[in-house]
Amino acid sequence: MTAAPRYIAEHRDRVRAVELDGLVVLFHETSGMTHIVAPPAPEILDALREGPADAATLLARLAARFAFEQKDGAEAVAARLAELEQAGLVRRT
Amino acid sequence: MSGTDNEKAGIEAFVPSRRTVLVLGAAAASTVVTIRPALAQTAGSVLNCEIPVPGPHAAGSYIAQDGSTVAAMTPNAHPPMMRPLRGQEAKALLQGSVPPGVNPSSAQAYANYIRRLQSGMSGFTCYASLQMPR
Amino acid sequence: MRHQLALQIGPVAFRIGSAWPEPLAALARLYAAYPAPADDICDFTVRLEPEKPWRRWIRPSVAIQGDYVLPDAAPMALAHGLLAAEMGMNLQMALGQKRFLLLHASSVEKNGRALVMTGESGAGKSTLAALLGERGWRLMGDEFALLDLDSGNLWPFPRAISLKNGAIAVMEGEAPAERFGPLLEDTPKGAIRHLRPNEAAIVGMNQCARPALILFPRFGADCAARGVGQAEIFMRLTQSSTNYVALGGAGFDALTGLVRSCPAAAIDYPDTEGAIDLVEALWSEAA
Repeated sequence: MTAAPRYIAEHRDRVRAVELDGLVVLFHETSGMTHIVAPPAPEILDALREGPADAATLLARLAARFAFEQKDGAEAVAARLAELEQAGLVRRT
Repeated sequence: MSGTDNEKAGIEAFVPSRRTVLVLGAAAASTVVTIRPALAQTAGSVLNCEIPVPGPHAAGSYIAQDGSTVAAMTPNAHPPMMRPLRGQEAKALLQGSVPPGVNPSSAQAYANYIRRLQSGMSGFTCYASLQMPR
Repeated sequence: MRHQLALQIGPVAFRIGSAWPEPLAALARLYAAYPAPADDICDFTVRLEPEKPWRRWIRPSVAIQGDYVLPDAAPMALAHGLLAAEMGMNLQMALGQKRFLLLHASSVEKNGRALVMTGESGAGKSTLAALLGERGWRLMGDEFALLDLDSGNLWPFPRAISLKNGAIAVMEGEAPAERFGPLLEDTPKGAIRHLRPNEAAIVGMNQCARPALILFPRFGADCAARGVGQAEIFMRLTQSSTNYVALGGAGFDALTGLVRSCPAAAIDYPDTEGAIDLVEALWSEAA
């Protein structure tokens, strides 16, 4: 059984963030690309900056700051991480 | 019990009593949109473009049904177009209709040729500009 | 090249060369009263060349060349040489402009503030700007809005207004005949006629303005206006910009700055008079 992948977020200094009514627009200096991200993606990026983590660990970090309405957050968080990885904003360690 | 409760209440008074709800959403949802360059679209609308079928790199070649270029006179392949396709005509072809002046039996092959165009090939910027969402 | 003309349009200077005299004669008439570039220094060069050497005389065919080219461009008839020159200038801006963030939008100015209108071709941004330019506003541009990367102000870029099909008759009723170029029929975009901006626009071609309202006009429905979310405005503006990606972080800062400081609305309109009323009403609320 393979362990769940651990991710790290691109350093804060290399990502400019501007909030535009509820969504966050990010400019990633390394790639020169711009992304528009919706919650919970920005919160996940923030939580990931505390240190490398897999989806379950991230879920726990988020639970310390936020309340969730749904039960099975782990699958959602894993899917968000995959999206962020595709965009180049996080990568696996 | 009241003493410790009051103490707890005192600390919690400095912290929001209800944490913000974060909606994690469905796994299948999409939360990241990457801005795609709009250059081809806007520049393409600025100029009328055309796509030669096939391009000069394969001048004289015939077009197979799947859009690849093959030797002239290959059986079941289609002859080159006599004149380049205008942008609007290429769009129509890609959508399944046959622009005037195009042989209907060759239309599918020509459409596949256009779909196979890659960066650097003649007609690619025209094709790319047709693809950009408006 | 055989024939040459230099034009200063707002902060951008062009040199247009041509193998034939006719397109440049028409261009010079259209841009009468525009200044020549200072010290003859030009930012971009456009060249109208024969598609093949013999096409200079036999069924003359104009290929648009210059500092920046689109490799698959279709050649044009000599009768449309003026249009080829205009398209050539558009192409240089679209592909080569690095000093400003370019938005595919029209803009007009009143009291130092700018109204920016952007949207798909045919939405009416050129016609509306042309009309407003005759109704007390100063036309800044009908094709490109130039956003200064440092100050966030808009620069004028008052090229000849490109009127298509129905818009031609509308403006023929509004502006004197002397300001119009020739009627060009059967172009790739239908009938086109160019209109020189009025004196206020030419005299003011170096005066910047602060963006105060962004509108997304759409022709064909009863008058209506609705707000647009900032993220959506941002997204739509990147799609209307030819150089947002190339400008990297500077483009990001300029565009987010614009979106955060400038209100926006999507408007529907059934006819130009309705549109003008709607625009004036929204402007008095915003500016």
